[in-house]
Amino acid sequence: MVQVSQKASTGSGRELELYFGPQHLGMVGNFSITLKVEGDRVVKATANPGYLHRGFEKLMEYRTWIQNFPMVCRINVVEPDSMEMVYAMAVEKLAGIEVPERAQYIRSIYLELARVASHLFGLWAYSNMLGFDTPAQWAMYHRDLVLDLFEELTGGRVYHIYIWPGGVRRDFPEGFKDRIVSTLHSIGGCVPDYDATFFNNRLFYDRGRGVGQLSQEQAKALGATGPVLRATGMKFDIRKVEPYAAYDKVEWEVPTRQQGDAYSRIWVVRDEMIESVHMIFKLLDAMPGGKVYNRIPNPFKWRIPPGEAYVRCESSRGELGLYLVSNGGEKPYRVHFRTPSYPHGLTILEKALEGASIADVGNTMISLYVVAPEIDR
Amino acid sequence: MDRNQIGKWLRNPAKMANKYSLHAVYFCTGCGIIEIPPVITTRWDAERFGVLPVATPRQGNLFMITGYVSLKTLKAIIRTYEQMPDPKYTVGFGSCPINGGMYWDSYNTIKHLDRYIPVDGWIAGCMPRPEAVFVGVTHLWTLIDKGKADGYLRYRKNYAAYRRNQEMLFGELDWSPLYPVGDEAEEAKR
Amino acid sequence: MNASLRTGLEATFKGVEVTGPRDGMMSVSAPSDSIPVVLGYLKDQGLDHLALVSCVDWIDQGKFEVIYLLTCYMRNDTDYSAEQRLHVLLRTEVPRESPSLRSVIEVFANAEPYEREIHELYGVHFEGHPRLIPLFLERHYEVPPFRKDFDTRAYVEQTFGSIPPVED
Repeated sequence: MVQVSQKASTGSGRELELYFGPQHLGMVGNFSITLKVEGDRVVKATANPGYLHRGFEKLMEYRTWIQNFPMVCRINVVEPDSMEMVYAMAVEKLAGIEVPERAQYIRSIYLELARVASHLFGLWAYSNMLGFDTPAQWAMYHRDLVLDLFEELTGGRVYHIYIWPGGVRRDFPEGFKDRIVSTLHSIGGCVPDYDATFFNNRLFYDRGRGVGQLSQEQAKALGATGPVLRATGMKFDIRKVEPYAAYDKVEWEVPTRQQGDAYSRIWVVRDEMIESVHMIFKLLDAMPGGKVYNRIPNPFKWRIPPGEAYVRCESSRGELGLYLVSNGGEKPYRVHFRTPSYPHGLTILEKALEGASIADVGNTMISLYVVAPEIDR
Repeated sequence: MDRNQIGKWLRNPAKMANKYSLHAVYFCTGCGIIEIPPVITTRWDAERFGVLPVATPRQGNLFMITGYVSLKTLKAIIRTYEQMPDPKYTVGFGSCPINGGMYWDSYNTIKHLDRYIPVDGWIAGCMPRPEAVFVGVTHLWTLIDKGKADGYLRYRKNYAAYRRNQEMLFGELDWSPLYPVGDEAEEAKR
Repeated sequence: MNASLRTGLEATFKGVEVTGPRDGMMSVSAPSDSIPVVLGYLKDQGLDHLALVSCVDWIDQGKFEVIYLLTCYMRNDTDYSAEQRLHVLLRTEVPRESPSLRSVIEVFANAEPYEREIHELYGVHFEGHPRLIPLFLERHYEVPPFRKDFDTRAYVEQTFGSIPPVED
């Protein structure tokens, strides 16, 4: 719902202030943009975050290291697994805990499944916004099939709490490998349908080409990472730059495009999904046996030696980092998440919306791949 | 349709039509946005229960508050709720609106939603499964049948208390009262 | 690159202490008024990604520590070498009573929301920032909420616990 404010700011009568507010059919997540428009063109856009601020980092200082694991996944509701991974990596780095090799492979497979699910959610949001309802419904349905796999492995559809410091919580159940393969085959078999209805559609090209255009220099200067940066041609992916888990043990390519507009960004998302599926098959073939976690001493009274650590991983939205400071106690001293949606949703959004038409506001916002809870934490 | 249903439809068609076509206002308030798209798309199809998302609060009569409510969001929720036409039903989704949930010690989230707007039912979980949403909707049907889903009537009756709670939390509110309070209420009664 | 970075920093700036690199992390301590210049120098050396601006409240020592975390983007398409994985933490200290720093927006344009957030949640003032208005919070708090002397549980009890339920 667009609320028209009576207070036009310049007094010339030419500008109008609109709220692309929190209650809006095109807004995924609780986020608001204030637009100053003149006719159909946006003159200035201001992002208003804060609707989802819980003070996470303050709350985490009141809970012990282990009690923070269920908290940490709720920062990014669409892909909670990368949050668990980065917190576990930071804690393991500070405490000096090793992870067995089978657990590294399992973590990679688990994170790639989460990436597929998250990209399908993004595809639902974007194609719904443009009005393509059919591929949106398909994408949600296929995401549910992947969530069924998660439910069998961890017990929960959305919040899994599977990655544990020292490994993962439990091993794959009997026959799980075959179920992963058959689910991914059934999703992958629908890629020609997605291409025919959405990706190769002339209407998507007309609506996405040139919208929210960023050059590589602009993207770098404004702190972009993830699909937003890879759509401008740079092959920057933390899984290659600073490999973690088992990503350096399989062959894979980083997909990029050259133009840097909404069309390129969504094509990068599609290519990443297909690459993730291939990567999961290769990881399943190469996975060794062995145990899946190293026990941590007495998790309820666990003290971690003082120090600081910055670790990063590649979530589906971009570079996710965690700066963790410990002062030797049972609780963290300072936790700061560097979430990828923070520069995308605040700095880059305001820049990309200048001069856009009102019809392209939602288009740009969702193609910048922003998850609102990540901004506010 | 069996004979019981035909009887109910003939006796009170407005109530039956209202019950089986609850249109939900599309407002993603918190964590729960992650389970709303599965509920309204093909796998767990909510439209067979009559629940459909609509664009504006003026067109909706079911308000699902999905997840925790921060202070800024509460202002938006109150304004949205007041714009919905009567009869309207509110469902609290997740354990955070009930008593604060896992953010019970956060300085920016409210702890009890029913002190600010009236709530007809709660669905527990973090996040509730889509089947739990449908159990909640069918339970709401039973409450509507018995006449117990009267949140909007309670809001009208106790508006002074709700408004006082909202003002205790926010200070001066920049929207005018929905129903007359104080002296104007006395005037209206006379 | 790492060795030359360290010697270059120590030669160019007085008062700068460099530790590391150890475990892929190099820590640079600089006085608070030289931060924009040191950041500009590091950006010219190839560290062009400002990932994070963070603040830690060391209440026992009476200071705030503001951290600027720098890494590099890629120099060319196939360069995934180990040298590029360096994390440089540029840190500075400000006193807790009247914390103030110069804004680094001219050097890195994406530092703008980070500085707004630190101002709102810790109370650190950034000179030269174009809009230091609230980002997340809906109201003004006496003590900025992320400081260690703000007790969030007591605040919750006092603010939300005092609102009575609506009786029927």
